[in-house]
Amino acid sequence: MNQKRTQFTEQILNKIDSNILKFGSRNAFCIAEKFYTYKDLDEKINAFSAKINDLQIAQGIIGLVVNDDIETYASILAIWKANKAYVPLHPKQPTERNLEILSQTGSNFYIDSENSNFGEKLININSAISKPTGLVINNIDSPDDLCYILFTSGSTGQPKGVQINCENLVTFVNSFELAGIKLNENDKCLQAFDLTFDVSVQAFLIPLLSGACVYTIPHDKIKYTYAYILMDDHQLTFGVFAPSLVKLLRPNFEEINIPSMRYCILTAEASPVDLVKEWHNCIPNSKIFNFYGPTEATIYCTSYEVPLDGSEIKHTNGLLCIGRPFEGLNYLIVNEENNSVDKNVKGNLLISGPQLTIGYWNNKEKTSEVFIEINGTNYYKTGDVVFEDNDHQIHYLGRADQQVKIQGYRIELGEIEYHARQLIDGKYAIACAVKGKNDDNEIVLCLESDPIDNDAINKHLSVILPSYMIPSKYYFHDIFPLNQNGKVDRNAVKKLFNL
Amino acid sequence: MNKTEVISQLTPIFQIVFNNPEIQISENLTANDVKGWNSLTHMILMSNIEESFKIKFSLREINKMQNVGDLISLIESKK
Repeated sequence: MNQKRTQFTEQILNKIDSNILKFGSRNAFCIAEKFYTYKDLDEKINAFSAKINDLQIAQGIIGLVVNDDIETYASILAIWKANKAYVPLHPKQPTERNLEILSQTGSNFYIDSENSNFGEKLININSAISKPTGLVINNIDSPDDLCYILFTSGSTGQPKGVQINCENLVTFVNSFELAGIKLNENDKCLQAFDLTFDVSVQAFLIPLLSGACVYTIPHDKIKYTYAYILMDDHQLTFGVFAPSLVKLLRPNFEEINIPSMRYCILTAEASPVDLVKEWHNCIPNSKIFNFYGPTEATIYCTSYEVPLDGSEIKHTNGLLCIGRPFEGLNYLIVNEENNSVDKNVKGNLLISGPQLTIGYWNNKEKTSEVFIEINGTNYYKTGDVVFEDNDHQIHYLGRADQQVKIQGYRIELGEIEYHARQLIDGKYAIACAVKGKNDDNEIVLCLESDPIDNDAINKHLSVILPSYMIPSKYYFHDIFPLNQNGKVDRNAVKKLFNL
Repeated sequence: MNKTEVISQLTPIFQIVFNNPEIQISENLTANDVKGWNSLTHMILMSNIEESFKIKFSLREINKMQNVGDLISLIESKK
């Protein structure tokens, strides 16, 4: 067997097996108000392992329709135990998209606990009794150490699949512990992320490695109220949140008090510092961390523990600092010529190390676009603009593609957005550059708000921003669309106004 | 405040939040029946209703609602 696969089996799968022995009668999952013990989980895993064995599947990649049930989580572990990788397919996503993803991976096999039928060329392992005769099984070549492939929407056209292998995930798990979060079998952990999003892997895997219990959110429930009820009813101790989920709870912060919460991670998007301060009152005994990481570098690769003793909370443009890189991760902050910049100078963040993906599935072109070799080391271009302060902490400024040149000045749209948000009670502001007269770049600003007098906004912004950063036009809309991961969908917002 | 009055005050709020002037409210209506009814629009809907009726919902009350009928009963109980 592949050496990395062996390491993964020893450090991840065997650890879960030993927890199953040690904590058999304790709860592993709470799904839709029903508890499942480690023994229950083990039985489900074994049932899926048997089905996978019976079908004698040679392919290394298996599609997984990610329902909110114990079968889906057990399938992931059974797929890993069979030395294979899973590709999550969201049941609420159009079937066409799921079929497109399956077809890109070339796999004939998938698991759906809800028994969907994807057509006669594809086999649902859950319901297949034997391999249908006469079926042409694709002969696909995949690396033998893959754990999962996550397809993210490519801004143009086809979705691209990030391949995460055994070494990536083992390194992540080991580094995660060093970042300051140590769970035990008494922990009760929130899993609020879709399984198509990589934070979900942390949210279920880390608790299982500690003998803790995972509390999930059913797909048909309103996520933010359900998350609150879980935290309050079961006195959860660990939660991972996208800041936009916390923001939905904000009108009700006064009634929230979860003293049991020990650790809270904010991730998946930039965290507004004022929100974090208020949220702390709701989880008074919890440590709060800001984690950053692109899917391509396996879930998280930097972390910042928010000081809650009254000392200075590091932030820039109102966004929490993303802190220090994980153990074993190398990084560079570079200018456009790919030369390292000095401290306190902004540049593009490049990362390298054992958490990095080997590239996009079957897509050499996209892969070569995002990797760069500098002094013999292969770096991933995160597309994020950051700077490092005098205390070696990394500050997040925004996406590189949000950086635009206006009248020769290189500006950060995030800075305009930050100041505009103050005017509209912390709601969303999206700035973008459009071609104006004479083909020059102009800034326009979309505000999640009722219409406000333009002069009033101009007056507010011109106190703090140079004149070339003042938007030339404002658009208003009462609710900004979010994408499936709960982040503001910048492209959808632009579309609202035909930008 | 009776059911009919609650519905007539709720209707324009739904139409604005979901950006759909055609929406008609019935007691059996659920989030699955309305395009764009997700966590975010749900929060906005609740805030707008609270403001319009001058009432406040707890998260627990919001979480219990299964359909618009439950919402109407809750509003009635608070007025």
